Amino acid sequence: MDNEHMETEPVDQPSSPPKDSFIPEIDSSAAADVEMKDDLHEPSESNPIVSADSSKSPDSEIVYPIAVLIDELKHEDLNFRLKAIKSLQTIALALGPQRTRDELIPFLDETIDDEDEVLLALAEELGNFVPCVGGVEYSHILLRPLENLASLEETVVRDKAVSSINTISQSTSQEQVENFLVPCIARLSEGEWFASRAGATKLYPIAFEKALPDTQTLLLNGFEKLCKDDTPMVRRSAAIALNEFIKVMSVDVVISHGLKFASLFLNDDQDSVRLLILDPLVSIAKALSAEQNVTYLSESLNQIYTDKSWRVRFVLGEKLVELANALKDPSLQNNLSEVAIKLMQDQEAEVRGAVCTQISGLSELIPLEDIIDKLLPHLELLSEDPMQHVRANLAKNITSLCKKFGPERTISHLLPIFLRILKDSFPEVRLNIISQLDQINQVIGIDQLSQSLLPAIFELAEDKQWRVRLAIIEYVPLLASELGVQFYDEKLSNLSMSWLGDPVYSIRQAATVNLKSLIDIFGIDWACKSVIPKIMAMATHPNYLYRITTVFAITTLAPSITPNVIVELVLPTVESLMADPIPNIRFNVAKSIEAIAPVLSSDKSTSDLIDSRIKPILEKLLSDQDRDVRSFATRAFQKIDVASK
Amino acid sequence: METSDLGFELLDKWISKLFECTKISEAEVKQLCEKAKEVLMTESNVQPVKCPVTVCGDIHGQFHDLAELFKIGGDSPDTNYLFMGDYVDRGYYSVETVSLLVAMKIRYPDRITILRGNHESRQITQVYGFYDECLRKYGNADVWKHFTDLFDYFPLTALIEDQILCLHGGLSPSIDSLDHIRFLDRVQEVPHEGPMCDLLWSDPDDRCGWGISPRGAGYTFGQDISEAFNRKNGLSLIARAHQLVMDGYNWCQDKNVVTIFSAPNYCYRCGNQAAIMEIDENMKYTFLQFDPAPRRGEPQVTRRTPDYFL
Repeated sequence: MDNEHMETEPVDQPSSPPKDSFIPEIDSSAAADVEMKDDLHEPSESNPIVSADSSKSPDSEIVYPIAVLIDELKHEDLNFRLKAIKSLQTIALALGPQRTRDELIPFLDETIDDEDEVLLALAEELGNFVPCVGGVEYSHILLRPLENLASLEETVVRDKAVSSINTISQSTSQEQVENFLVPCIARLSEGEWFASRAGATKLYPIAFEKALPDTQTLLLNGFEKLCKDDTPMVRRSAAIALNEFIKVMSVDVVISHGLKFASLFLNDDQDSVRLLILDPLVSIAKALSAEQNVTYLSESLNQIYTDKSWRVRFVLGEKLVELANALKDPSLQNNLSEVAIKLMQDQEAEVRGAVCTQISGLSELIPLEDIIDKLLPHLELLSEDPMQHVRANLAKNITSLCKKFGPERTISHLLPIFLRILKDSFPEVRLNIISQLDQINQVIGIDQLSQSLLPAIFELAEDKQWRVRLAIIEYVPLLASELGVQFYDEKLSNLSMSWLGDPVYSIRQAATVNLKSLIDIFGIDWACKSVIPKIMAMATHPNYLYRITTVFAITTLAPSITPNVIVELVLPTVESLMADPIPNIRFNVAKSIEAIAPVLSSDKSTSDLIDSRIKPILEKLLSDQDRDVRSFATRAFQKIDVASK
Repeated sequence: METSDLGFELLDKWISKLFECTKISEAEVKQLCEKAKEVLMTESNVQPVKCPVTVCGDIHGQFHDLAELFKIGGDSPDTNYLFMGDYVDRGYYSVETVSLLVAMKIRYPDRITILRGNHESRQITQVYGFYDECLRKYGNADVWKHFTDLFDYFPLTALIEDQILCLHGGLSPSIDSLDHIRFLDRVQEVPHEGPMCDLLWSDPDDRCGWGISPRGAGYTFGQDISEAFNRKNGLSLIARAHQLVMDGYNWCQDKNVVTIFSAPNYCYRCGNQAAIMEIDENMKYTFLQFDPAPRRGEPQVTRRTPDYFL
């Protein structure tokens, strides 16, 4: 259907007006759209009946769309019904606001009983329907059908309907809220089926924000009832909605009601409800002052710190820092760092892993001495945790401590842990810390890093996991630029070349890119001496996948090499490889010429060679017996020709 | 072929779109399958393949692992590939996987060979997921129909430099020479029995002779069978897929048969490595093993297996 729709667009666009201005042209495009569906195979012809009509009576052209809509909505193919829903706006524009309100909306409200997919589309469309019914002052008309959709069992439909009501209600007046939204919420909240009550919870915040004080009280009472609902699904929705609700409450209401709601959830016997309370707690803490937090939240916090469900402690672990920052009070924050240490020793690996993600934030909350005395011993233990994903989380986050520790303490306290992590048996753990080397480098400097970590890095350069090797390769240009050419030649050169012969293609590829960066750093003279001859020597490797690497390298390096070096060192190899027995090599020679030619023609002294040496290569390839070689040679030839013109 | 009605530009666009694991439209699939039919129709039941080539086993809709395979083995067309069937079912991205491979086949017919597996069939795909996936992703079964109609044209076996026979399953008691295979009428749904069925369903076994397959289709065959077949047809090796092997590849029957399986952590839970077999221009082979690709953007499934599953 997508495709068909795309095909219709070019036909529609010229005549279709912007959506919010209604002019008579509209229904010829709506009709064209409709007509396409009737006869899919002849898309470009317009409907003679409609175009004749539109010139005569304005009335009959309006009747037509709704009749078609009814047909479409009854079509047995789901896709047609879906498309009909998605063209509702066009039909509403054709009908005009009055008839949309009087006929279309009631029609939709009464007649739609379809599959969830269609209802979902309808719920979404209705959210954007305010302009079609005549603007904000009539927007409450849409509540009726949406209310029905919001009480359906299927969660996605319900959620979409609720969110559409929320969208519409953003711009409604207090009067509309009082007269229409609040009664709608009341009906949903009283619904017999849990689905409508669960849907209702999410409408309280917006209604509360706009309602009169008396109504606000009613809403608070209504919400409290839902917080005590028998079904956990409703309580879960209420717990999620509470977060938004808190944000629209005044401080007094937070204290009088918000805390009460929160404590209802905190004492829920379902952990799936309790774990949702962290976000509302953060919002409460943000709304209240530091002193108020001490007065009102201490007890609840202690309760959640010692929750017996690991799932609750897991969520707590993930939100420690967010919570600490919201609490503002130093003693509560201090308390929380104690909690962090306790969670690091939690018996559930999930919880330990979650706290590891908070290390960076914790390091800003806890004084340095405390980190060293209290936190560090536990981090050391975590680096030997039996669960690999805990160690992986630790490896990803522990380097954030370097900044706080400064160079000396990083070397004395953290480096031993880093070294242990670098030797971890699980590749993801090693990879996670390597990808943070930059952070360590910034604090302790490249000299220190190379002295203390380089041996470990060398080992990883030959790691069994290719992604670990890749991470190391990507780090080489930085190392090289900091440590200089002599160090590179002594310690890194052999590694860099050996990657060109790696069994994994991506490593060979990364190795060529690495060499290009190194040439950009160390210059062309160095390249002629140390790199290019070695690459060219690989052109005689017995395995084609390595010879092809030479060609790839030529393609990659060409922009960084000077024209005369190409002539002296590169071109002879290219000319020998163009007769390689393997077609894959030959068509990559054609590709490499696309990279070489611009370099040669950029210099007067070598631009003649395009005709004398480059074109003969391509001409030979053009008559190759392999069609892919011919095809790539043709492409290269065209590019050179275009460039020369 | 060089002046084909499906332009290279369009194909390249589809291929790069599919490489991002984005499906192409239903109309595009239809076009793709029509064109692929033309290309595959010209291929033999024993499609000759030149070395160098990289031989791969089952993929089963594990799209991200197929992308990983290309990262390990090299991009197409720079590396030549031979896939031994079972592109669809079980994994979450059968549609994208098979669309990509077919698009690559049309774009570079000489650089990639795709054989038929036992899952490239109307019946099997209705049970193991491809049918449902098409229905879910396109809202109707037309795409499934286009592909399963196309599957009938996939070659059954490939022969590398007259030495290595590549096929999905194994040997058949009704076939003792390559010419037997050449004369089969392959353009049909995989039958329940008979030579064509056996090629896609059989497994090697430790016991001598022919045995009844526990799969309910095809046979098991012993070392005596594969030795005799290789000797008679001048073959050095039978490379096949079809069975999960923990290291990704597995020699058996005194190196007369090798199994290659290219879906790491099969069904997202078997914990196996995958492998591909690189054959260079001197017919020397190297196996490359690989692990599942890291799943960025997908929900992490590794998060803690509840105790009651263990």
